[in-house]
Amino acid sequence: MVSAWMAPFTLYSACVIGALALYLLVRPGPRGAKAFGIILGLGALAWLTLESIKSTVDSTDRPSVFFFIFSLIAIASAVRMITHHRPIYSALYFVMVVLSSAGLFLLLEAEFMAFALVIVYAGAILITYVFVLMLSQQTPLGDKVEHQPEYDRIPREPAAAAMVGFVMLALLTDMAFNSASKIPAANTVREAQRQAWNELEQMPKRFEERVLEVEPEFIFPAQKALHILTDESGAYVLGAVGEAGSVEQRVDLPIEAMPENVQHVGWALVYKFPASLEVAGIILLLAMFGAVVLAQRQIELSEEEKLLAAQARQSKAAKVPSDSEGGAA
Amino acid sequence: MLAVTESMGSLTLSHYIMVSALLFVIGLVGFVSRRNLIVMFLCTELMFQGAAIAMIAFGRFHLDVSGQVFVIFILTVAAAEAALALGLVVLLYRRKQTLSAEVWCDLREHTD
Repeated sequence: MVSAWMAPFTLYSACVIGALALYLLVRPGPRGAKAFGIILGLGALAWLTLESIKSTVDSTDRPSVFFFIFSLIAIASAVRMITHHRPIYSALYFVMVVLSSAGLFLLLEAEFMAFALVIVYAGAILITYVFVLMLSQQTPLGDKVEHQPEYDRIPREPAAAAMVGFVMLALLTDMAFNSASKIPAANTVREAQRQAWNELEQMPKRFEERVLEVEPEFIFPAQKALHILTDESGAYVLGAVGEAGSVEQRVDLPIEAMPENVQHVGWALVYKFPASLEVAGIILLLAMFGAVVLAQRQIELSEEEKLLAAQARQSKAAKVPSDSEGGAA
Repeated sequence: MLAVTESMGSLTLSHYIMVSALLFVIGLVGFVSRRNLIVMFLCTELMFQGAAIAMIAFGRFHLDVSGQVFVIFILTVAAAEAALALGLVVLLYRRKQTLSAEVWCDLREHTD
Protein backbone atom coordinates (compact mmCIF):
# COMPACT_ATOMS: atom_id res chain seq x y z
CA MET A 1 0.00 0.00 0.00
CA VAL A 2 1.27 3.38 -0.99
CA SER A 3 0.12 6.49 0.83
CA ALA A 4 -2.59 8.73 -0.56
CA TRP A 5 -2.79 8.83 -4.34
CA MET A 6 -3.79 12.46 -4.40
CA ALA A 7 -4.52 14.97 -1.68
CA PRO A 8 -8.27 15.12 -0.98
CA PHE A 9 -8.19 18.88 -1.30
CA THR A 10 -6.73 18.75 -4.83
CA LEU A 11 -9.15 16.11 -5.94
CA TYR A 12 -12.22 17.84 -4.61
CA SER A 13 -11.29 21.25 -5.96
CA ALA A 14 -10.64 19.76 -9.39
CA CYS A 15 -14.04 18.07 -9.16
CA VAL A 16 -15.78 21.31 -8.16
CA ILE A 17 -14.20 23.11 -11.13
CA GLY A 18 -15.23 20.23 -13.37
CA ALA A 19 -18.81 20.40 -12.10
CA LEU A 20 -18.90 24.15 -12.73
CA ALA A 21 -17.57 23.62 -16.26
CA LEU A 22 -20.16 20.92 -16.88
CA TYR A 23 -22.91 23.26 -15.67
CA LEU A 24 -21.74 26.03 -18.01
CA LEU A 25 -21.64 23.60 -20.94
CA VAL A 26 -25.02 21.99 -20.32
CA ARG A 27 -26.83 25.29 -19.72
CA PRO A 28 -28.05 27.12 -22.81
CA GLY A 29 -26.17 30.37 -22.85
CA PRO A 30 -24.02 32.79 -24.77
CA ARG A 31 -20.95 31.60 -26.64
CA GLY A 32 -18.60 33.28 -24.19
CA ALA A 33 -19.94 31.26 -21.27
CA LYS A 34 -19.54 28.05 -23.26
CA ALA A 35 -15.95 28.90 -24.19
CA PHE A 36 -15.24 29.67 -20.54
CA GLY A 37 -16.78 26.31 -19.62
CA ILE A 38 -14.56 24.49 -22.13
CA ILE A 39 -11.45 26.20 -20.77
CA LEU A 40 -12.47 25.43 -17.17
CA GLY A 41 -13.17 21.80 -18.01
CA LEU A 42 -9.89 21.32 -19.85
CA GLY A 43 -8.09 23.00 -16.97
CA ALA A 44 -9.68 20.67 -14.42
CA LEU A 45 -8.79 17.62 -16.53
CA ALA A 46 -5.21 18.85 -17.03
CA TRP A 47 -4.87 19.47 -13.30
CA LEU A 48 -6.09 15.96 -12.47
CA THR A 49 -3.74 14.48 -15.07
CA LEU A 50 -0.72 16.38 -13.80
CA GLU A 51 -1.47 15.48 -10.19
CA SER A 52 -1.86 11.82 -11.04
CA ILE A 53 1.42 11.83 -12.96
CA LYS A 54 3.15 13.58 -10.09
CA SER A 55 2.02 10.92 -7.67
CA THR A 56 3.85 8.33 -9.76
CA VAL A 57 6.93 10.32 -10.65
CA ASP A 58 9.25 8.72 -8.10
CA SER A 59 8.70 5.24 -9.46
CA THR A 60 11.05 3.91 -12.11
CA ASP A 61 8.59 3.06 -14.85
CA ARG A 62 6.61 5.80 -16.53
CA PRO A 63 2.84 5.50 -16.83
CA SER A 64 1.62 4.59 -20.29
CA VAL A 65 0.79 7.69 -22.30
CA PHE A 66 -2.01 5.79 -24.04
CA PHE A 67 -3.97 5.65 -20.82
CA PHE A 68 -4.15 9.43 -20.72
CA ILE A 69 -4.92 9.74 -24.43
CA PHE A 70 -7.76 7.24 -24.30
CA SER A 71 -9.27 8.55 -21.11
CA LEU A 72 -9.13 12.18 -22.24
CA ILE A 73 -10.87 11.26 -25.52
CA ALA A 74 -13.48 9.25 -23.60
CA ILE A 75 -14.26 12.03 -21.14
CA ALA A 76 -14.28 14.81 -23.71
CA SER A 77 -16.62 12.88 -26.04
CA ALA A 78 -18.86 11.99 -23.10
CA VAL A 79 -19.20 15.68 -22.26
CA ARG A 80 -19.89 16.57 -25.88
CA MET A 81 -22.42 13.76 -26.02
CA ILE A 82 -24.55 15.14 -23.21
CA THR A 83 -24.24 18.73 -24.42
CA HIS A 84 -24.94 18.31 -28.12
CA HIS A 85 -28.40 19.46 -29.10
CA ARG A 86 -28.79 16.98 -31.96
CA PRO A 87 -29.44 13.46 -30.69
CA ILE A 88 -27.83 11.77 -33.67
CA TYR A 89 -24.53 13.49 -32.89
CA SER A 90 -24.90 12.39 -29.27
CA ALA A 91 -25.10 8.81 -30.49
CA LEU A 92 -22.01 9.27 -32.68
CA TYR A 93 -20.04 10.79 -29.79
CA PHE A 94 -21.06 7.80 -27.73
CA VAL A 95 -19.43 5.56 -30.35
CA MET A 96 -16.27 7.59 -29.71
CA VAL A 97 -16.55 6.86 -25.97
CA VAL A 98 -16.98 3.16 -26.72
CA LEU A 99 -13.94 3.07 -29.00
CA SER A 100 -11.69 4.80 -26.50
CA SER A 101 -12.83 2.61 -23.64
CA ALA A 102 -12.04 -0.38 -25.86
CA GLY A 103 -8.55 1.11 -25.96
CA LEU A 104 -8.49 1.22 -22.16
CA PHE A 105 -9.57 -2.44 -22.08
CA LEU A 106 -6.63 -3.30 -24.33
CA LEU A 107 -4.30 -1.58 -21.85
CA LEU A 108 -5.86 -3.70 -19.12
CA GLU A 109 -5.06 -6.85 -21.12
CA ALA A 110 -8.72 -7.66 -21.72
CA GLU A 111 -8.42 -8.18 -25.46
CA PHE A 112 -11.56 -10.23 -25.89
CA MET A 113 -13.75 -7.71 -24.12
CA ALA A 114 -12.25 -4.84 -26.11
CA PHE A 115 -13.27 -6.39 -29.39
CA ALA A 116 -16.61 -7.61 -28.06
CA LEU A 117 -17.31 -4.07 -26.92
CA VAL A 118 -16.60 -2.60 -30.34
CA ILE A 119 -18.65 -5.25 -32.14
CA VAL A 120 -21.61 -5.41 -29.79
CA TYR A 121 -21.81 -1.82 -28.58
CA ALA A 122 -20.63 0.25 -31.51
CA GLY A 123 -21.81 -2.26 -34.06
CA ALA A 124 -25.19 -3.41 -32.79
CA ILE A 125 -26.62 -1.43 -29.89
CA LEU A 126 -25.70 1.99 -31.22
CA ILE A 127 -27.08 1.15 -34.64
CA THR A 128 -30.39 0.34 -32.96
CA TYR A 129 -30.32 3.75 -31.33
CA VAL A 130 -29.59 5.48 -34.60
CA PHE A 131 -32.45 3.62 -36.29
CA VAL A 132 -34.92 4.63 -33.62
CA LEU A 133 -33.68 8.21 -33.76
CA MET A 134 -34.35 8.28 -37.46
CA LEU A 135 -37.77 6.68 -37.01
CA SER A 136 -38.92 9.12 -34.41
CA GLN A 137 -37.53 12.48 -35.29
CA GLN A 138 -39.24 15.24 -37.14
CA THR A 139 -37.17 16.75 -39.87
CA PRO A 140 -35.63 19.92 -38.50
CA LEU A 141 -36.30 23.04 -40.51
CA GLY A 142 -32.63 23.95 -40.66
CA ASP A 143 -29.18 23.44 -39.25
CA LYS A 144 -29.27 26.15 -36.60
CA VAL A 145 -29.84 25.52 -32.92
CA GLU A 146 -33.15 27.41 -33.01
CA HIS A 147 -34.56 24.94 -35.51
CA GLN A 148 -34.16 22.03 -33.14
CA PRO A 149 -37.17 21.01 -31.03
CA GLU A 150 -37.40 22.84 -27.75
CA TYR A 151 -36.82 19.72 -25.61
CA ASP A 152 -33.40 19.21 -27.21
CA ARG A 153 -32.29 22.78 -26.73
CA ILE A 154 -33.26 23.58 -23.18
CA PRO A 155 -32.04 21.22 -20.46
CA ARG A 156 -33.99 20.58 -17.32
CA GLU A 157 -32.37 21.79 -14.09
CA PRO A 158 -28.70 21.93 -15.19
CA ALA A 159 -27.55 23.34 -11.85
CA ALA A 160 -29.20 20.57 -9.86
CA ALA A 161 -27.78 18.01 -12.27
CA ALA A 162 -24.24 19.33 -11.86
CA MET A 163 -24.65 19.34 -8.06
CA VAL A 164 -25.90 15.74 -8.01
CA GLY A 165 -23.04 14.76 -10.28
CA PHE A 166 -20.46 16.37 -8.04
CA VAL A 167 -21.80 14.68 -4.89
CA MET A 168 -21.82 11.35 -6.69
CA LEU A 169 -18.26 11.88 -7.93
CA ALA A 170 -17.08 12.69 -4.42
CA LEU A 171 -18.63 9.46 -3.14
CA LEU A 172 -17.19 7.36 -5.95
CA THR A 173 -13.67 8.75 -5.74
CA ASP A 174 -13.50 8.58 -1.98
CA MET A 175 -12.02 5.11 -2.22
CA ALA A 176 -9.89 6.07 -5.19
CA PHE A 177 -7.57 8.14 -3.07
CA ASN A 178 -8.02 6.25 0.17
CA SER A 179 -6.49 3.10 -1.20
CA ALA A 180 -3.88 3.47 -3.88
CA SER A 181 -1.94 0.33 -4.49
CA LYS A 182 0.30 -0.68 -7.30
CA ILE A 183 -1.50 -3.18 -9.39
CA PRO A 184 -0.01 -6.62 -8.98
CA ALA A 185 2.17 -7.77 -6.11
CA ALA A 186 4.74 -10.43 -6.98
CA ASN A 187 3.18 -13.31 -5.09
CA THR A 188 -0.23 -12.69 -6.59
CA VAL A 189 1.28 -12.86 -10.06
CA ARG A 190 2.69 -16.28 -9.25
CA GLU A 191 -0.62 -17.34 -7.79
CA ALA A 192 -2.40 -16.19 -10.96
CA GLN A 193 0.08 -18.09 -13.11
CA ARG A 194 -0.45 -21.20 -11.04
CA GLN A 195 -4.19 -20.84 -11.57
CA ALA A 196 -3.69 -20.35 -15.30
CA TRP A 197 -1.64 -23.54 -15.55
CA ASN A 198 -4.29 -25.26 -13.53
CA GLU A 199 -6.84 -24.22 -16.12
CA LEU A 200 -4.71 -25.64 -18.92
CA GLU A 201 -4.64 -28.93 -17.03
CA GLN A 202 -8.42 -29.08 -17.15
CA MET A 203 -8.50 -28.78 -20.94
CA PRO A 204 -7.04 -32.23 -21.72
CA LYS A 205 -6.93 -31.97 -25.49
CA ARG A 206 -5.22 -28.61 -25.50
CA PHE A 207 -2.85 -29.77 -22.77
CA GLU A 208 -1.77 -32.77 -24.86
CA GLU A 209 -1.31 -30.59 -27.93
CA ARG A 210 0.87 -28.13 -26.04
CA VAL A 211 3.07 -30.81 -24.56
CA LEU A 212 3.56 -32.54 -27.91
CA GLU A 213 4.41 -29.20 -29.49
CA VAL A 214 7.34 -28.79 -27.11
CA GLU A 215 8.38 -32.42 -26.94
CA PRO A 216 7.10 -34.59 -29.81
CA GLU A 217 8.63 -37.69 -28.25
CA PHE A 218 6.61 -37.42 -25.08
CA ILE A 219 4.73 -40.62 -24.29
CA PHE A 220 1.54 -40.13 -22.37
CA PRO A 221 1.21 -42.66 -19.60
CA ALA A 222 -1.92 -44.71 -20.12
CA GLN A 223 -3.28 -44.79 -16.62
CA LYS A 224 -1.93 -41.91 -14.65
CA ALA A 225 -3.23 -38.41 -15.10
CA LEU A 226 -0.50 -35.86 -15.65
CA HIS A 227 -0.21 -32.68 -13.66
CA ILE A 228 1.46 -29.38 -14.35
CA LEU A 229 3.89 -28.47 -11.61
CA THR A 230 5.43 -25.08 -11.05
CA ASP A 231 8.67 -23.96 -9.47
CA GLU A 232 10.93 -20.90 -9.57
CA SER A 233 11.93 -21.37 -13.20
CA GLY A 234 8.44 -21.96 -14.57
CA ALA A 235 6.07 -24.80 -15.24
CA TYR A 236 6.87 -28.35 -16.22
CA VAL A 237 5.27 -31.74 -16.66
CA LEU A 238 6.75 -34.85 -15.17
CA GLY A 239 5.84 -38.30 -16.40
CA ALA A 240 7.24 -41.79 -15.97
CA VAL A 241 6.76 -44.72 -18.34
CA GLY A 242 8.12 -48.20 -18.67
CA GLU A 243 8.63 -50.85 -16.04
CA ALA A 244 7.81 -49.30 -12.67
CA GLY A 245 8.54 -45.85 -13.93
CA SER A 246 12.01 -46.64 -15.21
CA VAL A 247 12.06 -43.92 -17.87
CA GLU A 248 11.54 -40.43 -16.52
CA GLN A 249 10.48 -37.69 -18.84
CA ARG A 250 10.24 -34.03 -18.08
CA VAL A 251 8.89 -31.27 -20.29
CA ASP A 252 9.33 -27.60 -19.51
CA LEU A 253 6.36 -25.64 -20.74
CA PRO A 254 7.05 -22.26 -22.35
CA ILE A 255 5.06 -19.25 -21.20
CA GLU A 256 3.24 -19.19 -24.58
CA ALA A 257 1.57 -22.49 -23.70
CA MET A 258 -0.47 -20.71 -21.06
CA PRO A 259 -4.17 -20.17 -21.93
CA GLU A 260 -4.84 -16.81 -23.54
CA ASN A 261 -7.35 -14.13 -22.62
CA VAL A 262 -10.17 -15.54 -24.74
CA GLN A 263 -9.68 -19.00 -23.29
CA HIS A 264 -9.62 -17.59 -19.78
CA VAL A 265 -12.85 -15.69 -20.29
CA GLY A 266 -14.59 -18.58 -21.99
CA TRP A 267 -13.45 -20.98 -19.30
CA ALA A 268 -14.65 -18.73 -16.50
CA LEU A 269 -17.95 -18.14 -18.31
CA VAL A 270 -18.89 -21.80 -18.69
CA TYR A 271 -17.10 -23.25 -15.68
CA LYS A 272 -17.57 -20.66 -12.93
CA PHE A 273 -20.82 -18.97 -13.96
CA PRO A 274 -22.94 -21.46 -15.95
CA ALA A 275 -26.17 -20.41 -14.23
CA SER A 276 -25.56 -16.73 -14.96
CA LEU A 277 -24.89 -17.60 -18.59
CA GLU A 278 -28.29 -19.33 -18.81
CA VAL A 279 -29.98 -16.37 -17.13
CA ALA A 280 -28.34 -14.01 -19.63
CA GLY A 281 -29.74 -16.12 -22.45
CA ILE A 282 -33.23 -15.97 -20.92
CA ILE A 283 -32.96 -12.18 -20.50
CA LEU A 284 -32.07 -11.78 -24.17
CA LEU A 285 -34.90 -14.09 -25.27
CA LEU A 286 -37.47 -12.24 -23.17
CA ALA A 287 -36.17 -8.89 -24.39
CA MET A 288 -36.67 -10.08 -27.94
CA PHE A 289 -40.25 -11.16 -27.20
CA GLY A 290 -40.88 -7.89 -25.40
CA ALA A 291 -39.55 -5.82 -28.26
CA VAL A 292 -41.67 -7.70 -30.79
CA VAL A 293 -44.81 -7.30 -28.70
CA LEU A 294 -44.13 -3.63 -28.01
CA ALA A 295 -43.23 -2.63 -31.51
CA GLN A 296 -45.96 -4.34 -33.48
CA ARG A 297 -48.32 -1.84 -34.93
CA GLN A 298 -51.85 -1.85 -33.63
CA ILE A 299 -54.10 0.05 -36.00
CA GLU A 300 -57.84 -0.24 -35.66
CA LEU A 301 -59.35 -0.41 -39.14
CA SER A 302 -63.04 0.03 -39.83
CA GLU A 303 -64.91 -2.47 -42.05
CA GLU A 304 -64.78 -0.13 -45.01
CA GLU A 305 -61.01 0.32 -44.78
CA LYS A 306 -60.52 -3.43 -44.51
CA LEU A 307 -62.50 -3.90 -47.70
CA LEU A 308 -60.46 -1.29 -49.52
CA ALA A 309 -57.19 -2.85 -48.38
CA ALA A 310 -58.35 -6.28 -49.55
CA GLN A 311 -59.30 -4.87 -52.94
CA ALA A 312 -55.93 -3.20 -53.28
CA ARG A 313 -54.19 -6.48 -52.47
CA GLN A 314 -56.30 -8.33 -55.06
CA SER A 315 -55.68 -5.88 -57.85
CA LYS A 316 -51.94 -5.98 -57.06
CA ALA A 317 -51.97 -9.78 -57.19
CA ALA A 318 -53.81 -9.69 -60.50
CA LYS A 319 -51.32 -7.19 -61.88
CA VAL A 320 -48.20 -9.22 -61.17
CA PRO A 321 -48.85 -12.24 -63.45
CA SER A 322 -49.95 -10.00 -66.33
CA ASP A 323 -46.68 -8.10 -65.98
CA SER A 324 -44.66 -11.28 -66.20
CA GLU A 325 -46.61 -12.37 -69.27
CA GLY A 326 -45.85 -9.07 -70.91
CA GLY A 327 -42.18 -9.60 -70.15
CA ALA A 328 -42.25 -13.07 -71.71
CA ALA A 329 -43.94 -11.83 -74.87
CA MET B 1 -3.09 -12.00 -21.37
CA LEU B 2 -3.64 -12.46 -17.69
CA ALA B 3 -0.78 -14.82 -17.23
CA VAL B 4 2.24 -12.97 -18.55
CA THR B 5 1.75 -10.22 -16.10
CA GLU B 6 4.10 -7.34 -16.04
CA SER B 7 3.27 -4.45 -13.79
CA MET B 8 0.93 -1.88 -15.30
CA GLY B 9 3.58 0.74 -15.58
CA SER B 10 3.09 3.02 -12.64
CA LEU B 11 -0.62 3.34 -13.21
CA THR B 12 -2.65 2.49 -10.19
CA LEU B 13 -6.13 1.15 -9.82
CA SER B 14 -7.19 4.66 -8.82
CA HIS B 15 -6.46 6.03 -12.30
CA TYR B 16 -8.96 3.66 -13.83
CA ILE B 17 -11.50 4.17 -11.04
CA MET B 18 -11.25 7.91 -11.62
CA VAL B 19 -11.95 7.56 -15.35
CA SER B 20 -14.84 5.20 -14.75
CA ALA B 21 -16.29 7.48 -12.07
CA LEU B 22 -16.05 10.47 -14.40
CA LEU B 23 -17.84 8.64 -17.21
CA PHE B 24 -20.51 7.44 -14.80
CA VAL B 25 -21.07 10.92 -13.40
CA ILE B 26 -21.22 12.56 -16.82
CA GLY B 27 -23.84 9.97 -17.76
CA LEU B 28 -25.76 10.77 -14.59
CA VAL B 29 -25.69 14.52 -15.25
CA GLY B 30 -26.88 13.89 -18.80
CA PHE B 31 -29.69 11.65 -17.56
CA VAL B 32 -30.91 14.27 -15.12
CA SER B 33 -30.57 17.25 -17.42
CA ARG B 34 -31.61 16.07 -20.89
CA ARG B 35 -35.28 15.96 -21.85
CA ASN B 36 -35.10 13.81 -24.97
CA LEU B 37 -36.12 10.22 -24.13
CA ILE B 38 -33.60 8.62 -26.48
CA VAL B 39 -30.71 10.75 -25.23
CA MET B 40 -31.67 9.84 -21.67
CA PHE B 41 -31.30 6.16 -22.55
CA LEU B 42 -27.98 6.89 -24.27
CA CYS B 43 -26.82 8.41 -21.00
CA THR B 44 -27.64 5.20 -19.13
CA GLU B 45 -25.46 3.40 -21.66
CA LEU B 46 -22.68 5.82 -20.75
CA MET B 47 -23.12 4.84 -17.10
CA PHE B 48 -22.87 1.16 -18.10
CA GLN B 49 -19.63 2.02 -19.85
CA GLY B 50 -18.19 3.54 -16.67
CA ALA B 51 -19.20 0.46 -14.69
CA ALA B 52 -17.59 -1.81 -17.28
CA ILE B 53 -14.25 0.02 -17.05
CA ALA B 54 -14.34 -0.30 -13.26
CA MET B 55 -15.11 -4.03 -13.51
CA ILE B 56 -12.24 -4.72 -15.88
CA ALA B 57 -9.81 -2.61 -13.83
CA PHE B 58 -10.75 -4.47 -10.65
CA GLY B 59 -10.43 -7.78 -12.47
CA ARG B 60 -6.97 -6.81 -13.62
CA PHE B 61 -6.09 -5.65 -10.11
CA HIS B 62 -7.00 -8.98 -8.56
CA LEU B 63 -5.68 -10.92 -11.58
CA ASP B 64 -9.02 -12.62 -12.00
CA VAL B 65 -11.13 -12.92 -15.14
CA SER B 66 -14.45 -12.71 -13.30
CA GLY B 67 -14.50 -8.97 -13.95
CA GLN B 68 -14.40 -9.56 -17.69
CA VAL B 69 -17.13 -12.18 -17.44
CA PHE B 70 -19.32 -9.67 -15.65
CA VAL B 71 -18.75 -7.16 -18.45
CA ILE B 72 -20.23 -9.78 -20.79
CA PHE B 73 -23.34 -9.76 -18.60
CA ILE B 74 -23.37 -5.94 -18.64
CA LEU B 75 -23.37 -6.13 -22.44
CA THR B 76 -26.31 -8.54 -22.27
CA VAL B 77 -28.30 -6.27 -20.01
CA ALA B 78 -27.47 -3.24 -22.15
CA ALA B 79 -28.65 -5.02 -25.29
CA ALA B 80 -31.89 -6.14 -23.63
CA GLU B 81 -32.44 -2.65 -22.27
CA ALA B 82 -31.84 -1.06 -25.66
CA ALA B 83 -34.31 -3.40 -27.34
CA LEU B 84 -37.08 -2.89 -24.79
CA ALA B 85 -36.56 0.80 -24.10
CA LEU B 86 -36.38 1.72 -27.76
CA GLY B 87 -39.53 -0.30 -28.48
CA LEU B 88 -41.25 1.66 -25.73
CA VAL B 89 -39.92 4.96 -27.06
CA VAL B 90 -41.29 4.21 -30.51
CA LEU B 91 -44.70 3.45 -28.98
CA LEU B 92 -44.68 6.65 -26.92
CA TYR B 93 -43.64 8.65 -29.96
CA ARG B 94 -46.54 7.27 -31.98
CA ARG B 95 -48.94 8.32 -29.26
CA LYS B 96 -47.87 11.96 -28.91
CA GLN B 97 -45.51 12.71 -31.84
CA THR B 98 -42.78 14.06 -29.58
CA LEU B 99 -39.74 12.65 -27.78
CA SER B 100 -39.94 15.02 -24.86
CA ALA B 101 -40.02 13.27 -21.50
CA GLU B 102 -42.18 16.01 -20.05
CA VAL B 103 -45.33 15.29 -22.04
CA TRP B 104 -45.59 12.11 -19.98
CA CYS B 105 -45.40 13.90 -16.65
CA ASP B 106 -49.08 13.16 -15.98
CA LEU B 107 -47.99 9.58 -15.26
CA ARG B 108 -46.41 10.66 -12.01
CA GLU B 109 -48.05 10.75 -8.64
CA HIS B 110 -50.22 13.80 -8.07
CA THR B 111 -49.03 16.00 -5.26
CA ASP B 112 -51.27 18.95 -4.70
